[in-house]
Amino acid sequence: MPPENSDSLTSFKEFAGHRGDYYGRTFLRIQQARLPRLHLNTSALLGGFLWASLRGNWPLFWIGFAADMAAAVNFALIHKYELAAVQAAADGKDFLVQRYDDWSDAHLQAALILFFAGRLLLGWLADRLYYHHYARWRINRSLPSGQAIRRLGIGMLAVLFIAPLTIYRASQFAPDQRSCIKLARTVQDGGQVPLRDRFDCWTISEFPTLVWLERPPQYTFPRNDDGTRSIVVKESSSDRPVNLNNWLSEHIDQGIDYMKAFYGWLFDGVTHWVRVLLNAVEAVFMGTPWVVTSLLIIMAAAKLAGSRMGLFTAAVLLYLALFGFWQTAMSTISLTVAATVICVVAGLPLGIWVAKSKVGAAMVIPMLDIMQTIPSFVYLLPAVAFFSVGKPPGILATVIFAMPPMVRLTALGIQHVPASTKEAALAFGASPRQLLLKVELPLALPSVMAGVNQVVMLSLSMVVIAAIIGAGGMGFIVVDALARTQVGRGILAGIGIALIAMMIDRVVQKVNRM
Amino acid sequence: MVMAERQVVRVRGVWKVFGERAEEALQAIQQDNLQKGDVLERFGAVVAVRDVTFAVERGEIFCIMGLSGSGKSTLVRHINRLIQPTHGQILIDGQDIGALSDEELRALRAKQIGMVFQNMALLPHRSVRDNIAFALELRNTDPFTRHQLANKLLETVGLQGYGDSMPSKLSGGMQQRVGLARALAADPGILLMDEPFSALDPLIRRGLQDEFLALSRTMSKTTVFITHDLDEAMRMGSRIGIMRDGEMVQIGTPEDIIIHPKDDYVADFVQGLSRLKLVFAHRIMERPETYDKVHGNLADVDTWPQAHPKADLNSLVSLIIGQQCPIAIRAEGKLAGVVTKDALLKGIQGKSS
Repeated sequence: MPPENSDSLTSFKEFAGHRGDYYGRTFLRIQQARLPRLHLNTSALLGGFLWASLRGNWPLFWIGFAADMAAAVNFALIHKYELAAVQAAADGKDFLVQRYDDWSDAHLQAALILFFAGRLLLGWLADRLYYHHYARWRINRSLPSGQAIRRLGIGMLAVLFIAPLTIYRASQFAPDQRSCIKLARTVQDGGQVPLRDRFDCWTISEFPTLVWLERPPQYTFPRNDDGTRSIVVKESSSDRPVNLNNWLSEHIDQGIDYMKAFYGWLFDGVTHWVRVLLNAVEAVFMGTPWVVTSLLIIMAAAKLAGSRMGLFTAAVLLYLALFGFWQTAMSTISLTVAATVICVVAGLPLGIWVAKSKVGAAMVIPMLDIMQTIPSFVYLLPAVAFFSVGKPPGILATVIFAMPPMVRLTALGIQHVPASTKEAALAFGASPRQLLLKVELPLALPSVMAGVNQVVMLSLSMVVIAAIIGAGGMGFIVVDALARTQVGRGILAGIGIALIAMMIDRVVQKVNRM
Repeated sequence: MVMAERQVVRVRGVWKVFGERAEEALQAIQQDNLQKGDVLERFGAVVAVRDVTFAVERGEIFCIMGLSGSGKSTLVRHINRLIQPTHGQILIDGQDIGALSDEELRALRAKQIGMVFQNMALLPHRSVRDNIAFALELRNTDPFTRHQLANKLLETVGLQGYGDSMPSKLSGGMQQRVGLARALAADPGILLMDEPFSALDPLIRRGLQDEFLALSRTMSKTTVFITHDLDEAMRMGSRIGIMRDGEMVQIGTPEDIIIHPKDDYVADFVQGLSRLKLVFAHRIMERPETYDKVHGNLADVDTWPQAHPKADLNSLVSLIIGQQCPIAIRAEGKLAGVVTKDALLKGIQGKSS
């Protein structure tokens, strides 16, 4: 043994404790990069996760335990399907017997492969990962080293908590939620239920319904002769209690009904103005003959983004026209433009407010976070709830979906104006308004324009989705094609949408770069 | 009344404490004479300016010299109220600017005080001409007047023909000329220069210093000039204020400071400085009677080289080279003193005779 190895070796042995010679030798080989490719740790191979917990190496413990659990679950599944096969044979359903036997065989193979492959993997990984464990231990001596029975206890606790129920769940057909609800009602009415069924319902079925609530009364808001509304309360027809989900959703429904009944003028007003805006935009895109519109669009694209973009735009418009999408495409573009206009008009001042005021930031930023995490589909619900179906609610859902980047990027742009530049402007007597208009907004312009670009693209994607609530346009063709499984029509419309998106994106980006 | 007219900027007992509990902290400091560390610990507040009083006279260049963190940039921002003092008063032409309304303050900033910044702080989206005329634009001056004025100023700072360039196309030195032109645009009486030449390389800095001195002489602006460079302070300043840890340690002419540093801190600063251009004949001359007692050859005075009491040591050296006799110092035709070679050499070395 060369002398320079000896202090490493001492340290290895100190770390390993029990069987120090073996680990000393192995770690030395790892350090010298001489470990055979197929080297296996026999104790880990045989002991599995028990070995890992003894050694206090929890990553290895979870790898080994997961592999063994997967094998055990497969064994349990064999049992489950064998029983099912017997039952099916008794019921005389031969095709089921065959299917269950096949499944049971498959699970047997899986169980064996998982068990042996898992153990081999653990044996192969053991010394390699354990060496990393050693390396970390050298830096931080409070990490576990050697062997300790106490750690085996901790490992066994984890196993006891996880294994029995999981394996039991795999060996049984879990009762469905409906039968569990029935069972709960029987228990409430004082009926007798086998203990085993109750246990199954509590542990291996859907999360048990813990709270039963009284069904809320029904509110209606009929219109009086003089046009006002009154509130009528009716006791619920059924006295069956409901779970939390039903209880709350009924309350929400009633809240929305109430708002619609008493604040309908507000929602109608919003719808009205959105429609006014949309009509104006549609008059430009749809009310103009296609010859004029197409020529104007191509010329604008060529002027703004160069002749190549003009050519591309012409190709896109040609595609739309040839496949008979002209009016629908113009409708989609109108929706997008209308939504973008609202987003910019509302988002710019909001962004300025966020940048300038702590209160604004504290109020708006969390809302933006929520708006951006909610899946786009979900926006359709409030839009439909308050504004019914059609184009205006489609635009409103789109606005909610597409506005956050406008607000964020405007605020970001303004916040990034150097403090020294603002200070200079103030030193020459700028008022807050002049500071905003002559310094902050011009310097934030690239960021604001990036926001507009995002808004346009997000609007386009959401306008397509809004076809589900009747916003029409290209999205409607896709939704309709989906419903009728007319794949070809859907694909053609999809390509059209993609082309429109590319066209708008390229042009807006080019404009931004100038 | 005469005083008020002569002293254009007066800063009286100004304190600036940064932090949410600034007022409280200030009271505690004034009562208990707390140290920096205690203030930070007890109130989470930082004392940037500590009871500073000074006055700047019409037409002079008042340099505020201090190392980074000494509070000089904070102090100068009090003069146009970019920063509000925690305590104390600032008077511009006898008017307390703490009492001004927002609109009056904006008018003051736009018309009476020009400011030049270390990092130029030009507006990158505007042409040089529009940058220069910015203060006028803020006061709604018409574009024609702005255009004319900017052209005149471009000539003043030696940037003819650059009016339509964007600031990013100019070098650092040129950008700072634009900064200076912008500060001069509204023809303000007062210039605040916050380390204007610090970011430039030495050769360009030197050139700009000379140009600024020449400009300042012809335009006679009252200037508060911030710098961390003692050489620059000595070159530029009619008077210099030395700051340390927010306090004004010493105020005086360059000569005062170099001859009579108030404490070791200032002495350390001025130690390495060349006195040749900063110390003058009257500081080192002997009275004629004293001279006569020792040497007794005062009768030959008319054959000696002559100099004024305000002549600097450098010029005295030129006079005395190759001569055996001393220099006669005459003020208004009368013999005021005598400078011997020994006295001159000691004077250059910085030892009092």
